[in-house]
Amino acid sequence: MDAVEKSSATTIGTVALSPDAVLRLPPQCTIRDATQLLGQLMLRLEHSAPVYIDAAKVERIDTAALQLLVAFLADRKARRRAVVWLECSEGLMRAAGALGLTGALALAAAS
Amino acid sequence: MGVDLAQFHEAFFEESFEAIESMEASLLKLDVAAPDAETINTIFRVAHSIKGGAGMFNFTDIASFTHTLETLLDGVRAGRTRLSTAIMDLLLKSVDVMREMLRGAQRKETFDPQRVADLQFDLEVAVANNAAAAPAAAAAPAPAAPAPAEPAAASATETVTAAPPSAPTEWLISVRPLENMLSRGNEPLALFAALAEHGELTLTVDLRELPALEAIEAHRCYLSWQVRLTSAVGKERIREAFEWVEGDCDYRITCAAPPDGAAAAAPAPQPAVAEVAAPEAPPPAPALAEPAPAQSATPAPSAETPAASRAAARTEAAPAASGGDATSIRVSTQKIDELINTVGEVVITQSMLAQLGADAEGPSAERLRSGLAQLERNVRELHESVMRVRMLPIGFAFSRFPRLVRDVAQRLGKQIELKLTGEQTELDKTVLERIGDPLVHLVRNSIDHGIEKPEARLAAGKPAAGTVHLEAFHRGSAIIIEVSDDGQGLDSDRILAKARARGLIAPNETPSQEAIHELIFLPGFSTAEQTTDLSGRGVGMDVVRRNIKSLGGKIDIRSERGKGSRFTISLPLTLAIVDGQSVSVGDETYIVPLVSIVESLQTKESGVNRLSMAGEVISFRGAYLPLVRLHDLFGIEPRSRAIHDGLVVVVEGDGQRVGLFVDDLRGQQQVVIKSLESNYGHVQGVSGATILGDGSVALILDVPGLIRSTSSRREAA
Repeated sequence: MDAVEKSSATTIGTVALSPDAVLRLPPQCTIRDATQLLGQLMLRLEHSAPVYIDAAKVERIDTAALQLLVAFLADRKARRRAVVWLECSEGLMRAAGALGLTGALALAAAS
Repeated sequence: MGVDLAQFHEAFFEESFEAIESMEASLLKLDVAAPDAETINTIFRVAHSIKGGAGMFNFTDIASFTHTLETLLDGVRAGRTRLSTAIMDLLLKSVDVMREMLRGAQRKETFDPQRVADLQFDLEVAVANNAAAAPAAAAAPAPAAPAPAEPAAASATETVTAAPPSAPTEWLISVRPLENMLSRGNEPLALFAALAEHGELTLTVDLRELPALEAIEAHRCYLSWQVRLTSAVGKERIREAFEWVEGDCDYRITCAAPPDGAAAAAPAPQPAVAEVAAPEAPPPAPALAEPAPAQSATPAPSAETPAASRAAARTEAAPAASGGDATSIRVSTQKIDELINTVGEVVITQSMLAQLGADAEGPSAERLRSGLAQLERNVRELHESVMRVRMLPIGFAFSRFPRLVRDVAQRLGKQIELKLTGEQTELDKTVLERIGDPLVHLVRNSIDHGIEKPEARLAAGKPAAGTVHLEAFHRGSAIIIEVSDDGQGLDSDRILAKARARGLIAPNETPSQEAIHELIFLPGFSTAEQTTDLSGRGVGMDVVRRNIKSLGGKIDIRSERGKGSRFTISLPLTLAIVDGQSVSVGDETYIVPLVSIVESLQTKESGVNRLSMAGEVISFRGAYLPLVRLHDLFGIEPRSRAIHDGLVVVVEGDGQRVGLFVDDLRGQQQVVIKSLESNYGHVQGVSGATILGDGSVALILDVPGLIRSTSSRREAA
């Protein structure tokens, strides 16, 4: 299974986003596909526009995937670039909370 | 590139099977009336570990089942559940089901889901019953609370009768995954979930080692945590959560203080990245579902160097893990066999060199011989050391019997005490694996046919409980395993009557007691009045003997009516080497296994008689033995055909004796067995081959096979 689902055009409010701007996390977001996720994050690291992460379908996410997201958010912040959570599943919130990463992932705001 | 967790499955299965063995052994050791706390703890740990591993590897059925089992066991160890025979039965059935589920997962097959569901339901009912009974139990005097000051010294009993929730302790746990932890399938989420089962958990993540995204290795863990656990359990219980991550994670557990104690607990660590909200994103809300990373300026405990921290954590690591891991490794038997084979070749080469050295002449000859003598000593030591690698304690084969005896005795309404002796006696792994089934058969027979029902035993003046004794010990170069019981012994009259009825014994013939007892090893021979699913079908003892023979061993029986029976199995220490007597026939050398030789003698022509039906026989200790001329059997020109020019080696196999006529005896030696079948093909009367010191090949005689082929030839003639 692909680590990151193929992006399609997404509409948020009245603004149409380019497929690249949205990162859709798959239901199983684990170490098995961590390298692919890293590649997807690297692609978006330098985007000047905000990167939107859609985690609505995440059923299971593990430490390897979460630490990549933490690093991505930190690097984006260092570049003064935005990351916006579109929607977060219960599974992602729970895993992030269990690892003490809710703050580092700015998920409190998303929730 | 993704990490294939399947590569760790085999290790998980191996460890789980071993753990289940130990769980079963512990269960069988448990005294239902007065269960030992540490034994219950061991059993709980096994269920807990398997649950953890199964969860990590996504074997959800196993994880779910073991979770229910673990809940029941937790009740037992916390004293909420009173152990009973019914609960013991449930636990033992759970052992079977777990084993089968693991086997199913290993073979990628599904294990009977209905059986799992039924048992899981029974476990849940037991848990629910205990929960209902809990208030009554709570009325009992509460166990003394452990002193929180030195939890490490808390005894196992204190751990089991954990402090009531009214006296929790605050534990500080530093968790630092090593870089391979994630890629080895060990997930911190599972670790924290296990810790959270003990009490209230708050944790702070340390992100200082997390590199920039472009420098990150996707499968490596860069995070570490400071965990604060408020719990009534002791340190050992907390440690259990780390059992599956031993070696993959440094950790340290320290006692902070009771919650109402001084606030001088260790300072909270400060994460390097406290919040990472993007400027455009809304700021995080102040109230977080989890404890927010501490903003305190107090130096974090993890400020110490990683090396120092790791060393400290290692010191804290459970002794079993550090000791066990450091002193043993798992090696595949294939690698060991390759090593043994190579050493076997070295032995042969050394033997060839020794022969060359013996013939050497000249100024350096003496030094050469001295060096070769040293080489011989070293090679012998090397050979012995390598052979020892394959040796395993027979306890591995014995370990199944407590359960088997319990189950069979229960079904037959008998009381049996099982005695195991000499469990540390070592024997070759292959022998060990193949001796299991024959032993099971003998033990079942002892319980089914040997041991009487309690009332019959009491009437015979015996204790109500019969004894089955399994004993292993070394005798010379053989391993002896004895299965004995104090039951009713063999009924010689019935065996004889049955043998006569089947025409195996002539009506006027009166064999010795030993000969009568030997009859039970005949195919299809059973005197059991009723055929049970355990024994009495008469398809057992002949198979037992055949299996033991195929291992180069033998089985004898001694039995006394009313007092019991004793089966004695003699096995070679290893299948790879054999103690042999070299004999020469013409230009050829043969090896006769020493274990088969009764005596060697010289005889005259007058000592040989020719019977029309039996061919040549020799007189030996009042009996006539068939004489087998090896040169005839193998079609070789002998040094002489005159009987007084050669020697007769009396050998025994399958309870029969024959005299082998050979030219001469050459010497005794240990020989490395090379399979003839894999290199050439099966030859009747030959069990293998070996390479002698001069490089020539000698065949190793299969004495029982040779006797069989001789008998059939004579019958055909």
